[in-house]
Amino acid sequence: MFAQVINAQTIVGSKHDFSAQTWNTTGEICKVCHTPHNAITLPDAPLWNHQLTTATFTTYSSATMNATVGQPDASSKLCLSCHDGTVALENFGGNTGGTHFLTGTTLLSSDLSNDHPISFTYDAALASTDGGLFNPITTPSGLGGTINANMLFSGKMQCASCHDVHNNAAGTPPSLLLKSNAASALCLTCHNK
Amino acid sequence: MIKKIMQGILLMILWFPAMVYAQSIVTTKHNLSATGAGDVKASSETEICLFCHTPHSSRPMAPLWNRRDPGVIYTLYTSATLQALPGQPDGTSILCLSCHDGTIALGSVISRAMIQNFKGGVTTMPSGLSNLSTNLRNDHPISFLYNASLAIADGQLRTPENIIPPVSLKNGKVQCTSCHDPHKNLISDFLITSTQNSNLCNSCHQRTSWEMSSHNTSAKTWNGSPPDPWPFSPPDFSTVSQNGCENCHRPHNSGSDVMLLKYQQEENNCLDCHNGNVASKNIAAEFNKSYKHNVGNYMNIHLPNEPNQVFTNMHVECVDCHNPHAAKNLPALPPDVSGALSGVRGINQAGTAIDPANFEYEICYRCHAGSPGSPPAATSRIIVQNNVLFEFAPTNPSYHPVTAIGKNSNVPSLISPWTTSSIMYCTSCHAGDGSSSTAAPHGSIYPHILKLQNLTADGGTNATGTTESPSAYALCYSCHSRASILSDASFKEHRKHLQQNVRAPCNTCHDPHGISIMQGNNSSATNLINFKAGIVTTSSSGQLKFVDLSGNHGQCYLTCHGVNHNPHSY
Ligand code: HEC
Ligand code: HEC
Ligand code: HEC
Ligand code: HEC
Repeated sequence: MFAQVINAQTIVGSKHDFSAQTWNTTGEICKVCHTPHNAITLPDAPLWNHQLTTATFTTYSSATMNATVGQPDASSKLCLSCHDGTVALENFGGNTGGTHFLTGTTLLSSDLSNDHPISFTYDAALASTDGGLFNPITTPSGLGGTINANMLFSGKMQCASCHDVHNNAAGTPPSLLLKSNAASALCLTCHNK
Repeated sequence: MIKKIMQGILLMILWFPAMVYAQSIVTTKHNLSATGAGDVKASSETEICLFCHTPHSSRPMAPLWNRRDPGVIYTLYTSATLQALPGQPDGTSILCLSCHDGTIALGSVISRAMIQNFKGGVTTMPSGLSNLSTNLRNDHPISFLYNASLAIADGQLRTPENIIPPVSLKNGKVQCTSCHDPHKNLISDFLITSTQNSNLCNSCHQRTSWEMSSHNTSAKTWNGSPPDPWPFSPPDFSTVSQNGCENCHRPHNSGSDVMLLKYQQEENNCLDCHNGNVASKNIAAEFNKSYKHNVGNYMNIHLPNEPNQVFTNMHVECVDCHNPHAAKNLPALPPDVSGALSGVRGINQAGTAIDPANFEYEICYRCHAGSPGSPPAATSRIIVQNNVLFEFAPTNPSYHPVTAIGKNSNVPSLISPWTTSSIMYCTSCHAGDGSSSTAAPHGSIYPHILKLQNLTADGGTNATGTTESPSAYALCYSCHSRASILSDASFKEHRKHLQQNVRAPCNTCHDPHGISIMQGNNSSATNLINFKAGIVTTSSSGQLKFVDLSGNHGQCYLTCHGVNHNPHSY
């Protein structure tokens, strides 16, 4: 399965290349997150190796939101297992009790009320209720298929709808983006504004 | 592969119509990126959403806001009639103000450590119409709760559930985004619906009588002579009806501190159309005449909620006699108000405040029924009365028939169509002079804003009297036939008093308004007899009176022009 990863190489040198981190005693890139054996099973969590967060999150809400946002699930929960600051970075492969945590702007914390909403269904119905969103089923993502095909996971928005955890190429500034946001192209893929 | 290409083409076809119909922020002035449509834009940054939104660490959290709270105290809109309670801007409004108050650099966003540079060295919002400043006094109020009780208190607002979409409340409040969509500029000024024909304003406001008013319905256009009556509304609004509310109001940067009017000086909001350039009559010219209701003399004194009877802060503005939300072109017969005066408050003959006035004189009574500071009597007379309401009371022994049919059934001088059962208006006498004037007391070249000449000079001698002629008493003669008067058809001595050796004007013996029942009766004060003081003095027996003996007979006890009447009978 690892062979299928088209962009796996571009993780090298990115912020997600932990091979040189002092806390990463394995010296490997992939292992902090993945393991071929004894992986944790979770939807959209390929052979997951990192300790999972158990935090309860405050989700984004606003008067104009039409989507119903639930607790982070699927792969977003994987990201938050480092990015909420509750689980240490080196808590992978069965390790616990690590001491390295994210700080600064990459620390989203368990309060996601000031972060783009995730873990909700984005379908044609939501697009038509909102009026300011493109229909994900019919609108191209600019990545070869539709929004639904390339950016949504089981029809849901996740961190990975905007980010490519393995790919540092698209970001300006580099933020492991799924697609370049120059001219706000990323935002305007979904938002009809 | 071919299948993929086909899929791609299908997707393009499905996608393009959406692009055509839904205009994007990309082509608007709110695209502050280097590719933006306006003049105010970043030097090199290409992201568009960035200037307002960030996917992370937003503040406030919704809608993922990327700008700081200005944290300033704003001066808020207020007026004597405002029922709403605007607070300091909140909700989406404070977001807009983080650029539009001019206090924070446009390129200063939370997600970037460095301020984004703007073309031409622009930092904060350049001064101009888009910079509302922290003084919101001259802007439509925002950030106030709009609930059912507000609608009731105001009386001329739709209930919140009847607000016409796309206008809407935000968490129950009016905010900038009630009228504006910052992402789409389909009309102008990012408005969510057009202001044409007052459409936007009418989504919330429901002005009594507005529907039928001329300011809502008139198709009149501007003849092009300066000044431009509509300098602030969209250039394609070419009729009064299209301009609607914007004939007079500006929702932002208004000239006035209250009522969001174009200009601070109240009448300027009217006279830029009522100068012959849009409305056919040139009312502005009337106010250049010597005798006028001098609207130009007052500013910020009139209050829309002042009492019907103006007792303090005497003033006169167009809106004291006209209701710009109700005025329409509808002729009427005396004493009823015409369309021009519809929807105006008044004081009725019983002295009670009424809204609206039914009869024209009720509007005049707002100031002329005993208000201190209303003009003094034109002539000082033996019976002194300066309250016009008392002078015209239908119980009086005599009065010009303004409030009711007159008392005297024997007036042979009346020129058709006038009869003794006619009713007239105050404006039958008090009106602009000349054919270009309206039948309204805006201004006249003649004293007391009379529409025709009425000479009154009388020094008490033949030499100091007035030479009788058709023009000398043109006002009286316009209803009372000169030939009839001079043929002595009623008072047998008219000709003698007017022409021969005496040369007394009508005004010396007659009090044109009337004599109050409180001061005269059916034998002493008929035929509008109330002599001019100083000219008419006591007789040799010390008496000064008129006695009506009925049937064109009477007696006068007085001395006038050197002649003792003690009495003279006729
Ligand atoms: C920082 C954590 C992290 C690291 C390091 C990481 N991955 Fe992943 N990987 C993820 C997450 C999260 C997902 C699921 C979400 C997604 O698909 O983006 C994933 C998904 C995958 C998938 C399945 C989905 C796909 O894109 O096909 C493969 C294969 C994969 N990773 C391979 C690798 C390899 C190989 C490496 C090392 C070169 C690596 N990953 C390093 C977090 C990581
Ligand atoms: C194993 C822990 C871990 C997981 C799991 C993880 N990250 Fe990270 N991530 C990091 C670390 C460590 C950094 C670097 C932080 C720094 O340099 O301050 C980082 C940085 C980033 C950055 C900033 C990149 C840049 O160039 O500035 C992004 C974006 C990001 N992560 C997104 C994600 C997303 C999306 C996921 C889930 C798909 C994810 N991460 C999962 C640990 C993780
Ligand atoms: C709607 C798209 C979108 C979603 C969803 C999203 N991000 Fe991001 N994220 C971005 C963009 C765009 C940036 C770069 C921001 C910038 O340039 O200011 C970013 C930046 C980041 C950074 C780097 C922040 C910094 O200041 O260095 C991290 C870490 C990150 N995202 C993590 C996540 C995680 C974890 C999730 C899911 C909980 C997530 N993102 C969901 C679009 C998204
Ligand atoms: C993959 C699709 C997608 C991308 C890419 C995306 N968004 Fe969203 N965004 C959504 C959806 C779906 C919602 C939910 C809208 C709703 O329910 O009203 C949303 C919600 C939002 C909201 C909240 C709206 C509200 O009513 O409170 C904001 C603001 C927003 N996005 C900004 C951005 C920005 C800025 C970017 C680019 C950095 C971006 N989005 C990229 C899909 C996307």
